Amino acid sequence: MTSDENVDTTNGEEASEIAVVDSLEDTIWPLINRVLSSVDVTPERGSIDLITQIPRSDIIRALQILKDNEEVQFNYLRCLTAVDNESEGVDVVYHLYSIPKNINLTVKVNLPVDDKTIGTATEVWEAANWLERETAEMFGITFNNHPDPRTLLMPEDMTDTFPLLKSHPFAEIEILQGELLGYDRENQGDDE
Amino acid sequence: MVIESAPDFETQDLLINVGPQHPSTHGVFRMILEVDGEIVKDLIPHIGYLHRGAEKLCENNDFRQGVGYMDRTEYLASHNAELSYVMAVEALAELEVPERAQWIRMILCELNRLSSHFMFLGAFGVDVGVFGTPFIYAWREREALIDLFEEISGDRMMYAYFRAGGLAWEVPGNFEERVREVLVSTRQGMKDFDNLLTRNEIFLARTKNVGIISAEDAIELGMSGPTLRASGVPLDIRKSEPYMYYDQIDFEVPIGTNGDVFDRYLVRLKEMEQSVSIIEQCLERLNDGPIMPERMPRMLRLPEGQEVYIRTEAPRGEYGIYLVSKGGNKPWRLKVRSACLSNLQALRKMSVGQYVADAIIILGSIDIVLSEVDR
Repeated sequence: MTSDENVDTTNGEEASEIAVVDSLEDTIWPLINRVLSSVDVTPERGSIDLITQIPRSDIIRALQILKDNEEVQFNYLRCLTAVDNESEGVDVVYHLYSIPKNINLTVKVNLPVDDKTIGTATEVWEAANWLERETAEMFGITFNNHPDPRTLLMPEDMTDTFPLLKSHPFAEIEILQGELLGYDRENQGDDE
Repeated sequence: MVIESAPDFETQDLLINVGPQHPSTHGVFRMILEVDGEIVKDLIPHIGYLHRGAEKLCENNDFRQGVGYMDRTEYLASHNAELSYVMAVEALAELEVPERAQWIRMILCELNRLSSHFMFLGAFGVDVGVFGTPFIYAWREREALIDLFEEISGDRMMYAYFRAGGLAWEVPGNFEERVREVLVSTRQGMKDFDNLLTRNEIFLARTKNVGIISAEDAIELGMSGPTLRASGVPLDIRKSEPYMYYDQIDFEVPIGTNGDVFDRYLVRLKEMEQSVSIIEQCLERLNDGPIMPERMPRMLRLPEGQEVYIRTEAPRGEYGIYLVSKGGNKPWRLKVRSACLSNLQALRKMSVGQYVADAIIILGSIDIVLSEVDR
């Protein structure tokens, strides 16, 4: 369903899309476009690295291609995290680096608010293991088939609250820890 | 005499809990070892005891206040941690950092690398079992460096000296002489360590061919810094993607051959020599000039819908800052890519099949800072 939506937006903004692609000629976009020809990719110029949007249904396949392809060889996962865009869903962000080719790529996947599930990148890089565990507990994202879906930094029993979501109040953790810290629960507007 | 147990003789693996409050875990780190006799069969790391939510705190504070939180993530190399953060803010705000500020930053970052590696050498010596001499030597050299940082920033560990755009204030007038003075003692300190440990028979017996990790595994696990280079991968961000003026500096990237504990020690020692050489080259190019941009906005507001991932080579590896701005004076999202977290992931692979006693020195050789792992 999400991939259909993505196709619709690209068709609607076809003219501006072509202009964006033209201005990316000096980046690694032509190379990435050739490598990922079988995937629906939307490029965007970042401050330093090229940013690509890939639909959720293709993400793991696309990452595997990026790793295995001889021309790019993205063999190093620098960072994996997520960004909460409130009503626009959650973006999972992969920062890839190719040690042999010395090129960087940022890959983004948008997940809708009501269905935050995505495949696991541990199939592609082992490095994703702990990074995905952290992202999962902080944003409430489910990484399907993750080999070790425990919490990483948060307490084991704290699986119903996700601190890095924007809807999570700044002081929620202190409230959960109880009155010992002198928090007045009544005046915090705590509905639970 | 070798005693072989009969096939029907049932033995039970022993679970040993190490930490979180254990001097050899370099902070609050807990690991559960499953041992069969003396051999580690499995290792389960538990982290998160020092999680303070630095990322969430930064999202609720002004861009300038974030510097203080970065100090507290990587407290043994605070200058390096601050650097990534201010570079990320500068990249989005399109601030031009004056030349003098850049050179001073480079000098301080390399000095911080030296002090951090001295800390490693001392603590690692203790892990291996040579308590006393190396530890005190390391502390003596580190003290000289920390005194220098104190003269500059007023603080011994949490400097908060870098600002988006430049530096908080000008360095003291005798900065250059003081740095040169400290480098003399640092050089001597490195020689002392070389004499004490590098060819020490007992040290070699403890560290050679222990905790080996191959180059492929190290890359696959996302390791970085000296721990990756010890496996023979010459990846140094100062060389591969130079930031500041590292492209104008002549230095080498030492690499190891075996990827064992000894190589991780030796790579760090060699790296320190390179740092001293980098600092000397920086001092030659240090000119007078401003340390902040002339037109600095009073309130730092970043453009909307921008993001950047800045990576720098901190003493423990790649310290990355992923900064997303949606306008306003606060970051929308700030992610700290911790080098130690990714390096620590490899601990299990390194330790399984090794002796219990070696698990401690393998952990020591990764040189973790738990507050950076947990943030």
